[in-house]
Amino acid sequence: MNDQQHMLSDMADGLFAGLGPSATMEAHWSQIEALALSSLLLPEEAGGFGGTWQDALIVFRLAGYHALSLPVAEAAIAARLAAGTGLEGRGTIASRTDGTVEGDCFTGAVHGAVMSEGADFIVAPGPQGGSFLVATAGGERTPSVNLAGESRDVWHFESVPVAHVTENVFVMGAFARVAQIAGALDAALAMSVRYVNERKQFGRPLAKFQAVQQSLATFACEAAAANCAAMGLAQALDRGNAHYEVAAAKLRANRAVGIGTSAAHQAHGAIGFTQEYALHPITRRLWSARSEFGGDSHWAALLGGRVAAAGADRFWADLTALTD
Amino acid sequence: MQTFAIEALSWPDNGADLRRQVRTLVADHVHPANPADRTNCWAVADPAFSRTLAAAGLLGMTWPKEYGGHERSPLERYIVLEELLAAGAPVGAHWIADRQTGTLLLRYGHEEERRRWVPGMARGEIFACIGLSEPNAGSDLAAVRTTARRDGDGWVIDGQKVWTTNAHNAHVMIALIRSEEGSERNAGLSQFIIPMDTPGLTVRPILDLTGGHDFNEIFFDNVRLPGTALLGVEGEGWKQATAELSLERSGPERYLSCLTLLTELIRAVGPEPSDCVRALIGQLVSETWTLRLMSASVAAQIAQGHDPALEATIVKDLGNSFEQAMPALIQAAVETDLSSDAALPIMLGHLLQVSPSFSLRGGTREILKGIIARGLGLR
Ligand SMILES: Cc1cc2nc3c(=O)[nH]c(=O)nc-3n(C[C@H](O)[C@H](O)[C@H](O)COP(=O)(O)OP(=O)(O)OC[C@H]3O[C@@H](n4cnc5c(N)ncnc54)[C@H](O)[C@@H]3O)c2cc1C
Repeated sequence: MNDQQHMLSDMADGLFAGLGPSATMEAHWSQIEALALSSLLLPEEAGGFGGTWQDALIVFRLAGYHALSLPVAEAAIAARLAAGTGLEGRGTIASRTDGTVEGDCFTGAVHGAVMSEGADFIVAPGPQGGSFLVATAGGERTPSVNLAGESRDVWHFESVPVAHVTENVFVMGAFARVAQIAGALDAALAMSVRYVNERKQFGRPLAKFQAVQQSLATFACEAAAANCAAMGLAQALDRGNAHYEVAAAKLRANRAVGIGTSAAHQAHGAIGFTQEYALHPITRRLWSARSEFGGDSHWAALLGGRVAAAGADRFWADLTALTD
Repeated sequence: MQTFAIEALSWPDNGADLRRQVRTLVADHVHPANPADRTNCWAVADPAFSRTLAAAGLLGMTWPKEYGGHERSPLERYIVLEELLAAGAPVGAHWIADRQTGTLLLRYGHEEERRRWVPGMARGEIFACIGLSEPNAGSDLAAVRTTARRDGDGWVIDGQKVWTTNAHNAHVMIALIRSEEGSERNAGLSQFIIPMDTPGLTVRPILDLTGGHDFNEIFFDNVRLPGTALLGVEGEGWKQATAELSLERSGPERYLSCLTLLTELIRAVGPEPSDCVRALIGQLVSETWTLRLMSASVAAQIAQGHDPALEATIVKDLGNSFEQAMPALIQAAVETDLSSDAALPIMLGHLLQVSPSFSLRGGTREILKGIIARGLGLR
């Protein structure tokens, strides 16, 4: 990290730690606005912070680490995509579009719109690629939530005007989830390590039992893999085209979710299964994030299909060409 | 908590050129009769190929020119290694010398011993082996009992090493030996550089479960060494050997032993495989992509002079698990006749049998996880 990134990290860490999973739009969004975090990815020419995807990784990862219940990542991505479209205010993103775009007019539904109540516009995946932006004023919202109780709304639109952009909101949304998974796994790991060092059974801390040590060591490897995948994807987005890397990274992060959440819950025993204990805001977000912006079947088919189509003799050459 | 330092990686500018050089060289020289030789290829010895690599300046890449090296950067060397492994090139003869023995000699060796061995290693003419394990010292390495006692200016070695990979091709060994009589555990150990043709040293093959000959047992009966054979500081052997294990564990070979199997799977199933195979390829590619970043980031940290021992352990453990899972996953996803002589079943059959050793060699899975647990503050 450079100096600026250290500052960004300290700032987001302090703020998100205080807000956590119980923050609300009404009471706390202004604190995010005050730090201009939603303009993190907006180019400087457009009045933003001009941050890179590696800067975004720092912030999105910390949002995951602290199980932040505010749409910081989604607002930042939406604001970036809205640059030059004339749409203003708070934007958010959706993960699926079910409908048709004719010219500049959309009819249909968008699903998985993140905390969209009170949002001014939504960016959704375009039915023919790219993304489109639509003002919420012309639509009707049906509230819905994911496993962690985070708002994922459905919106219906009837012949409303939209703006098109070529950048892919689905890829960016997947990046946000990969970064949040990376952070959330590190948080669940830290919580598990702390817990087994404190909790005693058979006259000694659980941490002294080799079976417990080995399980958390396996977890640490998975958390490390998810974090490296997130960094690899951020770097790819900063280079430009990240179609290969987004599939690889989301698949890897998703895999880590299964191994990590089961190790965390196992290490905590029954207490981790209670509503009162702070593990579930992390693990329920992790299970939700695994499906959001593409689950395994989506990304594995895409990546596997692409590699198979290119053929055996291109496999390694294409992989290394990503970084050369 | 963040267990893995995830600095962004910058690859050398000449990476693509270097890759082209290695790919051409492999295409010109590597045509194994048996497809199994393209798997686990850092256990496949071909001295002639080692000399070819050396002639192209691809051995001893980071060593000083004064000792026959080429003063290239560690990441340039990393690129060469991953290209060779990805292609399944037979790099076993020189692998240990290039990875650790030469480097260790340059770091700790007596000047006379460095001059004697290192330039030959860089020419691909001197090969090496690792003398750590003994019959009663496996995971518990501090239990080594082979002894060195002073004799005038020199030393006399007695005892036994076992599982010594490549000893039958090697000219020299670095061994961890108890040099202080009556010492216990990790105190009183020293490292020695031992020519394999020293009188009193015997190498006996041990065949593996496939009938292959990679490792050996070594007997030392009154083996006399000059004073210069002591490597580094007397009694500091444990510390030096631990540093050696960092070199031994951190390389890309810890996740790339089976990559040629994945490549062969892609070849065998063609451009439009079934959904299930396509998904498997996607998952395996995802893991390969991630491990490559992790492995390269360890290499980059070593290049910056850090000792990422914990990160290296994590990459080895993940890498070994990946390499071991892959053959079984492929066997489950495609119907294969393991008695056929097509490339995929031969490679698959070989790896099903040898991959259990991947989480033993270089430190077992349990020992690695113990190291990671210590890094987490659990022990
Ligand atoms: C292919 C191959 C090549 C090798 N090449 C070399 C070489 O070139 N030079 C060399 O010196 N050695 C070499 N080795 C030896 C290797 O380093 C040892 O096999 C390894 O250290 C384990 O020792 P061991 O085989 O005696 O098993 P043991 O130590 O007896 O272990 C058996 C099992 O018990 C587990 N175990 C042991 N202690 C503990 C513990 N405290 N807690 C939990 N579980 C434990 C182990 O993890 C393992 O699963 C090679 C091994 C193989 C398989």
